[in-house]
Amino acid sequence: MQELDTAGLGSVRVTRKSDTVVILEKDLATEQMVLAMGPQHPSTHGVLKLECLTDGEVITQAEPYLGYLHRCFEKCCENVDYPAVVPYTDRLDYLAGMNSEFAYAITVEKLLDIEIPRRVEFIRVIVAELNRIASHLVAIGTYGIDLGAFTPFLFCFRDREIILGLLEWASGARMLYNYIWVGGLAYDVPADFLKRVKEFVNYFRPKAVELSELLTENEIFVKRTFGIGIMPADVAINYGWSGPMLRGSGVKWDLRRNDPYSIYPELDFKVPVPDGKHSVIGDCLSRHLVRAWEMDESLKIIEQCIDKMPSAEGFNSRSAIPKRIRPKAGEVYGRAENPRGELGFYIESDGKSTKPVRCKARSSCFVNLSAMKDLSKGQLIPDLVAIIGSIDIVLGEVDR
Amino acid sequence: MSEYFGNIKTGAVTIATGMGITLKHFFNAIHRKGDAGVDDVDYFRQVDGLCTLQYPREVIPTPANARYRLYNNIDDCIGCGQCVRACPISCIEMETIKVAPDDMAACGKTSDGQQKKFWVPVFDIDVAKCMTCGICTTVCPTECLYHTPVADFSEFDRSNMLYHFGNLTRLETEAKRQKLAEIQTKALAEKEKKAAEARLEKKD
Amino acid sequence: MSTMVISQFSIPFLMGNSLNAWSDALAGFYLFGLPLGLVIIAAIPLVFIALYSLTYGVYGERKISAFMQDRLGPMEVGKWGILQTIADILKLLQKEDIVPASADKFLFVVGPGILFVGSFLAFAVLPFSPAFIGASLNVGLFFAIGIVAIEVVGILAAGWGSNNKWSLYGAVRSVAQIVSYEIPAAIALLCGAMMAGTLDMQKINILQSGSYGFAHFFLFHSPIAWLPFLIYFIASLAEVNRAPFDIPEAESELVAGYFTEYSGMKFAVIFLAEYGSMFMVSAIISIVFLGGWNSPLPNIGSVALNDWTNGPVWGAFWIITKGFFFIFVQMWLRWTLPRLRVDQLMYLCWKVLTPFAFISFVLTAVWEIYRP
Repeated sequence: MQELDTAGLGSVRVTRKSDTVVILEKDLATEQMVLAMGPQHPSTHGVLKLECLTDGEVITQAEPYLGYLHRCFEKCCENVDYPAVVPYTDRLDYLAGMNSEFAYAITVEKLLDIEIPRRVEFIRVIVAELNRIASHLVAIGTYGIDLGAFTPFLFCFRDREIILGLLEWASGARMLYNYIWVGGLAYDVPADFLKRVKEFVNYFRPKAVELSELLTENEIFVKRTFGIGIMPADVAINYGWSGPMLRGSGVKWDLRRNDPYSIYPELDFKVPVPDGKHSVIGDCLSRHLVRAWEMDESLKIIEQCIDKMPSAEGFNSRSAIPKRIRPKAGEVYGRAENPRGELGFYIESDGKSTKPVRCKARSSCFVNLSAMKDLSKGQLIPDLVAIIGSIDIVLGEVDR
Repeated sequence: MSEYFGNIKTGAVTIATGMGITLKHFFNAIHRKGDAGVDDVDYFRQVDGLCTLQYPREVIPTPANARYRLYNNIDDCIGCGQCVRACPISCIEMETIKVAPDDMAACGKTSDGQQKKFWVPVFDIDVAKCMTCGICTTVCPTECLYHTPVADFSEFDRSNMLYHFGNLTRLETEAKRQKLAEIQTKALAEKEKKAAEARLEKKD
Repeated sequence: MSTMVISQFSIPFLMGNSLNAWSDALAGFYLFGLPLGLVIIAAIPLVFIALYSLTYGVYGERKISAFMQDRLGPMEVGKWGILQTIADILKLLQKEDIVPASADKFLFVVGPGILFVGSFLAFAVLPFSPAFIGASLNVGLFFAIGIVAIEVVGILAAGWGSNNKWSLYGAVRSVAQIVSYEIPAAIALLCGAMMAGTLDMQKINILQSGSYGFAHFFLFHSPIAWLPFLIYFIASLAEVNRAPFDIPEAESELVAGYFTEYSGMKFAVIFLAEYGSMFMVSAIISIVFLGGWNSPLPNIGSVALNDWTNGPVWGAFWIITKGFFFIFVQMWLRWTLPRLRVDQLMYLCWKVLTPFAFISFVLTAVWEIYRP
């Protein structure tokens, strides 16, 4: 038996009987199909376009195309004052506006070198962690949709709605808050806010258990994500991954611990990494589990913050806000742990202007997405959907 | 082999658990969560049951400090133009006319007793552009510009999204402008006259 | 057996109430030499499919899914949104009937038709009541299993004719899935046929009647009858492309699968076919394992519940109720579970369902031979 490769006709398996060649099996001449997935596709989470080269259902190559949601964030920042950048940062990762504001605020505060009242720090951490839970709820819910489970998504959104209500109560807006300002907060939280947040924590714990019973523990869900899209830790580091993605690969890296900012060093919380018992380290399930565990940790952080919160007496949330922000010439890079990873701002000031000369956002989604090509090679189309979902991209941050 | 049967078993058990949860929710559908706002004391009273609302008829109340539609109380506006400068997306358009000295009383004072020095014939806010960041409201010295909790103000025509807050009619504007121009020309003429006199004096 | 006399009254007295009386009377009804009765027989399931998919299929599913997800569901059109489906139909009627420029027009148009015919033809052998069956074939069950395969042709025609890559994927997946799942489904139904000893749908039903109600159903006929019952139920989910086996129309992967390009009435026809097959498999499972039109209520002493609740009209009620129950379970599963992947679907079919179907086949045969 031997194999002949006839040009363009695929491989042909033949055998020789005395002198005649008998064709045993002949593959049909096949060619690969280009499949444009997106920008209008239900599971590309916005306007991501993936150009896939497919061999049947197997993807041989997938190339992400970006830029459909580009809004010139960095150029906009160069044309507005420092405080006016804050509403724009909301629109980067619109699912976690508080965290983006937080990252920007601590960066500018680093540049200005100002002291922040302690109560402001506590409130900032509470709202940021609430928003982290909201963002992870969207991630987990939409991941369920990607894998065909619609109900967990609505349960997630039901609980996220409560968080949005709480944040609206505090800041006045539901998604695009402009609450964390450089040097302080727009307002102090309402009188009953902390009590209601505590009630929310008590409300949410059983709901999170229910969610995990419905989705995470479901055998079909586990089978769909277990061992899919494995990213080894060293490759993940080389790609510059951060956040739940990197922790999913087993690297214990959390900026709240490794490059602490605000009051995080005083708080007691774990950095969850997969233990290899429930999942293969670095696969889609690990990333999903890390998000689910992080929600628990965020709840813990919120509870501690409420307990340790300094009193509101004589407190002015705007007391440390500079009248006019005009940093001395220099540059700064500040970063914070966003729900999706490290969001960093690089800001350059010329010392004369009230506007940043350069404001570059290091977006976690963009960096995480860059590994798409590696991750998707040789996967099936349903697995590709699972992988995109596990990366949990927000196109607003990818394209900026 | 045991793995094979184990898989079937976990599959069956977890599917049954999931179905139990959805069935529980199905029977919980006799309850409704209602439209309590998050600032309501009883917000977490009813946590099970249907949580959606029939929007135009049932609304989740927006809190009192919610920042939605921008509103300008023009009676208090002194026409300083801080908001126009602060707005990151320039959605506020403003025109001012200096108040003639004899019109000061007619122009009036703000509610906290500050004399207004400008007529504001044009104060247009394009709420379609406005991103409700609230920066303009924080710079406003008289706190006459603020966000209201009115969240739903959709329109069929985009030009209706341009909100006019100017408090002068076109004729009045024209009159004020003319008056100011007259005063200015008078002042200019006086100045020139004085300058000419000064020149004459110098020559002498 | 076929001479069994049904004791209760039936509404069309004129037609009598013995077995197949209504359908026989209709079949013999000619008007101006035209077999109008046959047309009516064919129209009854059609009207039934249309009515049921309009009410329970679409509106019911939307409400059930809404309640499972803590939502209200449609509420605007009519009281509690009852008229929502009518509004949807009106919308679909008004829609432009688009045939994509690069589509294979013949296949594109014919696809939904074949799909619907495939699911509709199986209704011919479904006994809707002791007195009504479209075609009283002695190979009724075999016909029902076989004719469903025509749907595959329709799906392939629709997917291929759309000239859309997603549709093609959906069609190919669908064909692979349906063809594979026919095997465990057929073997599981064979277990039922073995217990009955016949393929005639009416006879299968009659064999399950008796004064103890549900105790006579084939599900309780042998200690392993639950296994083919379960296998057929799972396989039938795959055959009608319901979740968790809805990979041919997996909306998060393939946009909408083989009907991505369809709009307007063609889309409605595809949906009608889907709801038709949903009821069809639910009716088959209730006929083969749960007694079809027999009442599940037993006679308790002098309280002859079983006798009171049997008869042609009651029969129609029971079979439709049983069918609706299984459709409810289908919906319940759909709104609970994630979707399987293609290879897992095949794993489930070939490595789990098919061996177990064979085991149950052999065990049923052994039971039938050595039954105490």
